[in-house]
Amino acid sequence: MNKEKITCKEVMKHVCESLGENLNDEKCLEVKKHLDGCPNCREYFKSVEITIECYRKYNVEVPEEAHNRLMKMLGLEE
Amino acid sequence: MEEKQLIEKAQSGDKHALAELVKKYEQTIYNFSFKICRDKNYAEQIMQETFYSMVKSLHQFDHNAKLSTWLYRIVANHCLMMARKLKSRSFVSFDDEENLFEEKYAADWNSIPYNETENEELKSILDKAIQNLSPDYRVVFLLRDVEGLSTEETAQVTELSIPAVKSRLHRARAFLRKEINEAFSK
Repeated sequence: MNKEKITCKEVMKHVCESLGENLNDEKCLEVKKHLDGCPNCREYFKSVEITIECYRKYNVEVPEEAHNRLMKMLGLEE
Repeated sequence: MEEKQLIEKAQSGDKHALAELVKKYEQTIYNFSFKICRDKNYAEQIMQETFYSMVKSLHQFDHNAKLSTWLYRIVANHCLMMARKLKSRSFVSFDDEENLFEEKYAADWNSIPYNETENEELKSILDKAIQNLSPDYRVVFLLRDVEGLSTEETAQVTELSIPAVKSRLHRARAFLRKEINEAFSK
């Protein structure tokens, strides 16, 4: 059987669909093989990981006044 | 004291145990609310509504479930209700999904300062990008990728099917990545 090769666009889509899913099906293996030989798709893969990392690292702390207002509202002040 | 004991004590009216539970989760809830609405005042309002709901319905909490998952469901609902109330802007449409994978720009991703957590330019780009996503997509992306819930837990919290979670997730990832790519190409 002569299957057509997977395209870069398909690889990009697959990266977005399967990141973090630890899949080992045939499509994933094909994607991994493509990534080994395609610097552009490897860069795309890395960029999706960086995107997620950016949002993970952007955090805010509860301001002390907001904490106090919350405890007061719930009737749980110390 | 273990969480299970704290919950039991709180359910039987122990205010000290209830306060401990609130303190344990307030940071997570506030941070999550902020990440959805990108506004500190709304985040505080949502945090208050979430814990008010928790206190009101803690007696119904099933000990076989995880308290964090239960709280994520409450906070996600409050975030979506707030978004519907504020509905002041339009969001990106995914009618033509192929656009998500068209590469018109090429940013140098090595130059993106993602380790500088207080970089104001980066924060502004991240805020703008995610605000173009509909809140329904934001919730899925944040639960799965940022809070680290599994696909199954995300489906449980959002009451979506697993294929629906996956579909929203891959679109959100591709869209946010594209927005950041464009912002850093200018």
